[in-house]
Amino acid sequence: MIHSLFLINHSGDIFLEKHWKSVISRSVCDYFFEVKEKAVDPENVPPVLQTPHHYLISIYRGKLFFLSVVQTEVPPLFVIEFLHRVADTFQDYFGECSEGVIKDNLVTVYELLEEMLDNGFPLATESNVLKEMIRPPNILRSVVNTLTGGSNVGDTLPTGQLSNVPWRRAGVKYTNNEAYFDVVEEIDAILDKSGTTVFAEIQGVVEACVRLTGMPDLTLSFMNPRLLDDMSFHPCVRFKRWESERVLSFIPPDGNFTLMTYHVSSQNLVAIPVYVKQNINFFETGSCGRLDITIGPKQNMGKTVEGLMVTIHMPKVVLSANLTATQGNYTYDLTTKVLVWDIGKLNPQKLPNLRGSLSMQAGAPKPEENPSLNIDLKIQQLAISGLKVSRLDMYGEKYKPFKGVKYLTKAGKFQVRT
Amino acid sequence: MPYLGGEETVRELRRALSNPNVQSDQLRYRNTILKVIRAMSQGVDMSGLFSEMVKACATVDVVQKKLVYVFLCSYAALNPELSLLVINTLRKDCQDPNPMVRSLALRNMTNLRLPSLVEYVEQPLAAGLRDRAACVRRVAVLGWAKLHNLQASSEIDAAVVNELYSLLRDPDPVVMVNCLRALEEILKDEGGVAINKPITHHLLNRLKECDIWGQCQVLRVLQRYRPQSEDELFDILSLLDASLVSPHPPIMAATLSLFLSLCSGQPAVSLAALERVRGPLLAACGSGSREMRFTALCHIQLLLRSIPGLMGAHYKRFFCGYAEPAYIKQRKMQVLVELVNDENVAMLLDELKGYCTDVNAETAQAAITAIGRIGRSYSDRCLEILTGLLGLKQDHITSAVVQTMRDLVWVCPQCSDTVCFALEGCEETLQDSQGRQALLWLLGVYGERVSSAPYTLEVFIDGVRSEASLGVKMELLTATMRLFLCRPAETQDMLGRLLHYCIEEETDMCVRDQALLYYRLLHCGIEETRKVLQGRRSDPSLGVLIGRPAEPVSQWARSFNTLEPLRQGSIETESVSRGSPEHTMFDPKPNADLSNTLDCSRIEKVHSECVRCPTIPRCSPQSLQAAMQLVNIQTLAFTPPQTLPWRVYLYTHTCLDDAPHSTLILGELLYTGEEPQKAEVHKGSADGGVGAEGIEDDM
Repeated sequence: MIHSLFLINHSGDIFLEKHWKSVISRSVCDYFFEVKEKAVDPENVPPVLQTPHHYLISIYRGKLFFLSVVQTEVPPLFVIEFLHRVADTFQDYFGECSEGVIKDNLVTVYELLEEMLDNGFPLATESNVLKEMIRPPNILRSVVNTLTGGSNVGDTLPTGQLSNVPWRRAGVKYTNNEAYFDVVEEIDAILDKSGTTVFAEIQGVVEACVRLTGMPDLTLSFMNPRLLDDMSFHPCVRFKRWESERVLSFIPPDGNFTLMTYHVSSQNLVAIPVYVKQNINFFETGSCGRLDITIGPKQNMGKTVEGLMVTIHMPKVVLSANLTATQGNYTYDLTTKVLVWDIGKLNPQKLPNLRGSLSMQAGAPKPEENPSLNIDLKIQQLAISGLKVSRLDMYGEKYKPFKGVKYLTKAGKFQVRT
Repeated sequence: MPYLGGEETVRELRRALSNPNVQSDQLRYRNTILKVIRAMSQGVDMSGLFSEMVKACATVDVVQKKLVYVFLCSYAALNPELSLLVINTLRKDCQDPNPMVRSLALRNMTNLRLPSLVEYVEQPLAAGLRDRAACVRRVAVLGWAKLHNLQASSEIDAAVVNELYSLLRDPDPVVMVNCLRALEEILKDEGGVAINKPITHHLLNRLKECDIWGQCQVLRVLQRYRPQSEDELFDILSLLDASLVSPHPPIMAATLSLFLSLCSGQPAVSLAALERVRGPLLAACGSGSREMRFTALCHIQLLLRSIPGLMGAHYKRFFCGYAEPAYIKQRKMQVLVELVNDENVAMLLDELKGYCTDVNAETAQAAITAIGRIGRSYSDRCLEILTGLLGLKQDHITSAVVQTMRDLVWVCPQCSDTVCFALEGCEETLQDSQGRQALLWLLGVYGERVSSAPYTLEVFIDGVRSEASLGVKMELLTATMRLFLCRPAETQDMLGRLLHYCIEEETDMCVRDQALLYYRLLHCGIEETRKVLQGRRSDPSLGVLIGRPAEPVSQWARSFNTLEPLRQGSIETESVSRGSPEHTMFDPKPNADLSNTLDCSRIEKVHSECVRCPTIPRCSPQSLQAAMQLVNIQTLAFTPPQTLPWRVYLYTHTCLDDAPHSTLILGELLYTGEEPQKAEVHKGSADGGVGAEGIEDDM
């Protein structure tokens, strides 16, 4: 199925290759480089390319291309999902998925790839199982390994692979038994010039960190489960019980995992936490422009908006910006033409404002379109959809665990048109 | 990759590897091997170190073993003799008490891929099939597939195949799925695994145990199964219902694909299944991964071919985000065009208007084309936007707008007044040849209504010497000729100059020949010329079908969940750069597989025949049309009902996925009222690909 994998960095160097069937020459990537050259921005490279003898299916993650070579017809969703799984695994093992990190951990990377695919077919992709076969590197262990000559390869067979619950290994033991859940919601929204919502949707995820002894059976229930659309669960969740009772019942994997992801897509349920008053003008003559942006709180359920940041991709003709901010500070990157205004906490008594003039290239025509504002923000202890966990019960074990739920709202693709 | 000092590195590493001091210190030994692997992954040729690495293989350290295996597997093909030495170590490892080591050895033994070693590998592989550790069995099963790939010509060992079939009932789900994969490869010539009723039901019952990759594989293999009765079919469908709405897009797509193949005889069930996957597909469209979003979009396009209204209420999901890659934006626009209806048209056009000024020129052009498409049903609003865009004086936008207008006028001749008015003065901003060709075509056809047409042409003619594009020159010739027919006084002089230049000085044969043709044509008299040059006008009485007739699901079911729908993108964007409308057929919403234009050389034969149909009992055009759709004849355009003679243009095409030949048949049906029906059929048989060829409308 998947013949070979090439990892290619931002500038177009292949720095890792792995073949599961016969060896395919690197020259197959030339087709890819050709398209990449043409696309200018690496993001614009289409994910599927056809060459005379192969298909190249690639994903772009963290400034890296994961390029797989396929010889026969395959389901594209399958390959794309798998490539993302590979990237996720690297992220999970090394904390980030970048060229430097992969080069530093080359051995682990090869071992992982070897375990994840055999003859081109996915083999072990569940992070819990992989971690038992190949232990993730950490500083302490690598020091110990250097001193003792030990290895980071488990020398026993992962027990989980044969148990009835493939995602959990047997015989887990902790002195502190704890189960924490983070409900993280991202608002994807497009607001138009007048502040009305063109499109809004919430992408939510429930991340769990469960360290419990033995084989606990957990039940998590929500105050308002009917709010959610399009849920997707970790394989451990019993779907039947969700369908009948709207509770999440599961035997958790050990450690960190994503319990579920969901969408809230009906627009009237999506609260927009801030409003933006903006005025960006480019003058016909005099090659300059004005900019005036004010941000204020809208529907934030009484919580403070933090980490507020506004990013504007200015038109190419804007040479510099001479602005004053009543709060926070701004930077304008001359090469990328990106204006970033880092505001921080939003104070509802004194609204942050950024105003001033923009100077443009002399003689250049006035840009026909105003730039959009991308907004980044955070609200602690609030799930903007109003989702609330009501209780967590544990069956099957006798001890009493620590439990905790945290909520966080973030801006995802939050964009204001001007 | 050129790597300076490659030779030097190899020599240094060889010295280190054969140094007894290094060999005795496990840690240093491993680090040296690590350096070899690192250099190898940078593209340095390390094959010279093969014999040293073979020695390093004999160790108890699992990590070192793994590293050496990585090396050996990549260079074994270059050193078949030396590889023989590794086999011994590997075979010993196959007896190891640790199942990890056993599976590792077995896997790498098969990964060496040397035909000469097959005889040594077979025995441990056969033992591996009966190993008590599941992970060894998993590897062994796939090992047989690799072995078969290695010597594809050899006889298949029936005993092994039988054993693999029996392992389909293995308690470990991965072994089961691997068996399927191995058998698919080994029995490729026989058409893959034999899927009979017991196997099907066994696989379906165990579907839940597999991981998502396994489920996809099982679902894919089951597509070959044909249920024996309707009851059985519905049993299977209800078993699969949960995976149809699976949150994992690959499973959802594989299940739908299986549904469609099982229900090929039950269109109603297929349609219900499509409704059911709407939610999961939309969710995939909003997924965090842009590649996933793109793939989901492409598949939604397929679904819309059968149920145009499927996503109507969700059109906002297809609005483009600012930072989305161009390929997603272009797909989203294609979907948006399909979703347009009376309620959302204002909103959609507003949105598309915003995309027209995108930084990416291709995206901007795609947006303009999209507006043009919508213009076929809502011409006034769209023309207003298009004319507004001309005011921006950006050359890529102007070019796209002019091309779009040209395409639009051909389909909706009633827009020609607005277009003619808008054309004034836009020639200054036109830079590229496609845009100028479009402008010239418009000037030629509507020359009598654009007051400045002769002056614009004159500028072109004066600059013809420095003109590089062949297409522009040809179009210029035709446009000047046409203009001469309606405004002879103003054009005669410049036509003479142009013809003179083209015949006397032009070096390109095509242009010269065309000029000669026109010159001789003029000799035949003005009436003859008029007949040739003004014969082909679109018929304003022809109304274009708004809203595509829903295609049967079976048209595209085979290409669902394959790479097919993703490929069309490149073709569809190319079709933006086509010639004048006379040379292309206008399908109101071109089917993807009809959208690439076919050059005339690929038409094998074009002949027209006139068939007189026997008298058909009186029937309305509508019912006729519906009846024809049943037998897969699609309508392109027809005259309004109650007009006589009533005509309708039709096409149909064969769709054989595996055949390189495909036939496209175009036809005109003429109904003259009281007389018996008369059908004229023009056939064009396209070879080597699917495509559309212009209707020879002077039938």
